[in-house]
Amino acid sequence: MAAPLIELLDISRSFGSTRAVDGVSLTVQPGSVHAVTGENGAGKSTLMKILAGVIRPDAGTIRLEGREVHFSSPLGALGHGISTVFQEFTLIPNLTVAESIFLGREPMRRWGGIDYPKLRSGAAAALARLESAIDPDGMVRNLTVAEQQIVEIAKGLSADARVFIFDEPTAALNSADVEKLTRLIRDLKARGKAILYISHRLEEIFALCDTVTVMKDGRHVATRPTEELNEHDLVALMVGRELSSFFPPRAGTVGEPVLTAIDLRTNAASPSVGLTLHRGEILGLAGLEGQGQRGIARALAGIEPAEAGRIEKTGRDGARHGLPVDAGVGRTLATGIGFVPEDRKGEGLFLDLAIRDNIALGVETGRPFWALAPNTTAVIGSMMQSMNIRARNAEAIVGSLSGGNQQKVLIGRWLSSGVDVLIIEEPTRGVDVGAKAEVYKLLRAFSDAGGAVLVLSRETPELIGLCDRLLVVHGGAVVAEMAADGATEHGILHSAIGSRQAA
Amino acid sequence: MATLSALLPPPRNSRAGPWYLVLACLVIVVAVVAWSAPLFLTPGNLSNVAAQVTPLVITAIGQTLVIITGGLDLSVGSLISLTTAIIVLDLPGWAMVLLAIAAAVTVGTVNGVGIAFLNVHPIIMTLASMSVVQGVALITRPVPGGTVPGWISGAVNGSLFGLPAALVWIAVAVVIAAFLIYRTRFGLHLFAIGGNPNSALMNGVRVQRNIVLTYILSSLFAMGAGFYLAGRIASGDANVGTVFGLDSITAVALGGTSLSGGVGSLVGTVLGSVLVGVIGNGMNLMNVSAFLQIVIKGALLLAVVSVQRRKQIGL
Repeated sequence: MAAPLIELLDISRSFGSTRAVDGVSLTVQPGSVHAVTGENGAGKSTLMKILAGVIRPDAGTIRLEGREVHFSSPLGALGHGISTVFQEFTLIPNLTVAESIFLGREPMRRWGGIDYPKLRSGAAAALARLESAIDPDGMVRNLTVAEQQIVEIAKGLSADARVFIFDEPTAALNSADVEKLTRLIRDLKARGKAILYISHRLEEIFALCDTVTVMKDGRHVATRPTEELNEHDLVALMVGRELSSFFPPRAGTVGEPVLTAIDLRTNAASPSVGLTLHRGEILGLAGLEGQGQRGIARALAGIEPAEAGRIEKTGRDGARHGLPVDAGVGRTLATGIGFVPEDRKGEGLFLDLAIRDNIALGVETGRPFWALAPNTTAVIGSMMQSMNIRARNAEAIVGSLSGGNQQKVLIGRWLSSGVDVLIIEEPTRGVDVGAKAEVYKLLRAFSDAGGAVLVLSRETPELIGLCDRLLVVHGGAVVAEMAADGATEHGILHSAIGSRQAA
Repeated sequence: MATLSALLPPPRNSRAGPWYLVLACLVIVVAVVAWSAPLFLTPGNLSNVAAQVTPLVITAIGQTLVIITGGLDLSVGSLISLTTAIIVLDLPGWAMVLLAIAAAVTVGTVNGVGIAFLNVHPIIMTLASMSVVQGVALITRPVPGGTVPGWISGAVNGSLFGLPAALVWIAVAVVIAAFLIYRTRFGLHLFAIGGNPNSALMNGVRVQRNIVLTYILSSLFAMGAGFYLAGRIASGDANVGTVFGLDSITAVALGGTSLSGGVGSLVGTVLGSVLVGVIGNGMNLMNVSAFLQIVIKGALLLAVVSVQRRKQIGL
């Protein structure tokens, strides 16, 4: 076995009274991919931030090729050859790609100016090594998420980094880009770099990583070669108990239609879409990413008005409401449609406010503006309990919660508002394994109680496991419908792409 | 060639903002003013405009640095007044210059430290220092007057090296600022801070130090404008700078620089300042009341900022 490139020894870090990382040690060999996994709040992000120089450990040492190193900023870490691709990128939209790659370590001229030709050629060289066609003079704000990620990697390459840390790198990528990233990481590995790969996604860990370290509650649980494990073992290590089943049982029977879209066109050029959502049902919009699922969901929720079409919503009392496509969120919400966006930090939650306030917004929905604020303490307390939201109390600031608990708060808002249709994008993005199962259970309980759920997800296995029925969307149109029970990723892909060949 | 390329932003730079809009505006306004006030295009009036615009250009350039980082400096106006008050103090030339520089650096440092280290909002911080500095200026020079040293008047009136002095001083300010903004790492970091201060910090940009430096520079540019203005009016006046706070922000915003930071250009600021100056001069020639001019300037700022907001929220 080769000497480890990087060693973390007995690292500890506390925030207040919580020990986020508690005496964790880790070694990574050159030319290998080492996964770090665990539930949210397990401390893996904190550990990586320590290695990346974002936060300093209270105790413990970091050794690079046997020598102890200290640094106090990501730039310092990069100076020691440790490059981090954070989950939230650190690129700045108004800089060019080349400037971003060299930000903080610009090549200088003798008289104190930036050596722009050198900066540009260095950036071009780093991008070329990644076989990327990104223009070094282009602005970062024009890049896709996947391209931004490549720029982050190029930053590491240009600094001759030997250790690359990827924090949930595939969270925002579609499957084609995930594949490209996988190739890039394999390529880095072949060049003898040490790679730390933080992820929840079991299939990626097995496909890409040589070794996996599992953390729980800030402690090291196990480090094993991935070939010695199967998914089942890994989940058991992460959760510390065996998950009998991820997904709750499907609905037996479904009720009458509750939300119907007729001839819906999200924009002038898109084909028309018709769909019906029934009570007691969880309906998934499947297919390749970026085929218009998002537009359809957002049009139904009233977030992005559609171009044309008709939406009908049946109330709990059986009354039918026609909703003009440009009705807007206020109207759709008033008729009982709640929307849980993918970007829950930006579009869903008030991160600086308490859980109480975030949920109370739902309780207040549909009340006239002159009504006195109701006492929500009891409602919110029982909501937090029934949803198993883990927080000190209802006054906890939502921004400080883990992804899973944030998602529960957002869902809790709409549950307490009495909506009977929930449209939800990426229900488990950034949510750990344990909380995922709970989110699924919540959605199922909601539909069992007479609600209806429309789900969008990049993760097809999630759609198959969670939903009752799937609509395959391709090119903005619904091209196939199938029962989720018995559907396969292959079958969904086939009907999506098959339709393209036919067209 | 080297100087010329230093003046222009790096190629394909698209964080300059829509400065060409102000150019179009300027052409239209000049045409309208020239048509309705024939006096406008006479050499005498044009050199008058240049002289009027110069202190605004200099102040607005400093203001641009601050606004690119996402800040705002309201105190530049009072600092101009204070500088003119210091200039007419009965001191030897070197002592007077040192005192003016010390005053500017102090104001800039206090602004910057308050904003960068104590997290005071830029508007509140500079509003407070504006008031303090204004007070100090009035105490130093309660009524306009005093004698401005001859070398200052000589340097700003008439011509230097065969060129109108106003243009020379504009050029000096522009070249210094262009070098800072487009050629140094400090300039790049200003844009980075304005784009996303947290990301900038993660990339090793010394955000706080750079912000302090920016406010110091803004104060120093305002001080320069104060020297120019003192030479022009040949007296110290604790109220002469008042209009420059609002005017410099208007000029910068007109030039396409985003008030939320990260986007902006020098050329826009220069053109924006000229536009403010031409509008003022044109209204004078057309006998528009000075009070109405203030109303129009406020409306102009409101219009520009609304257009910027509209773009941001995507209408």
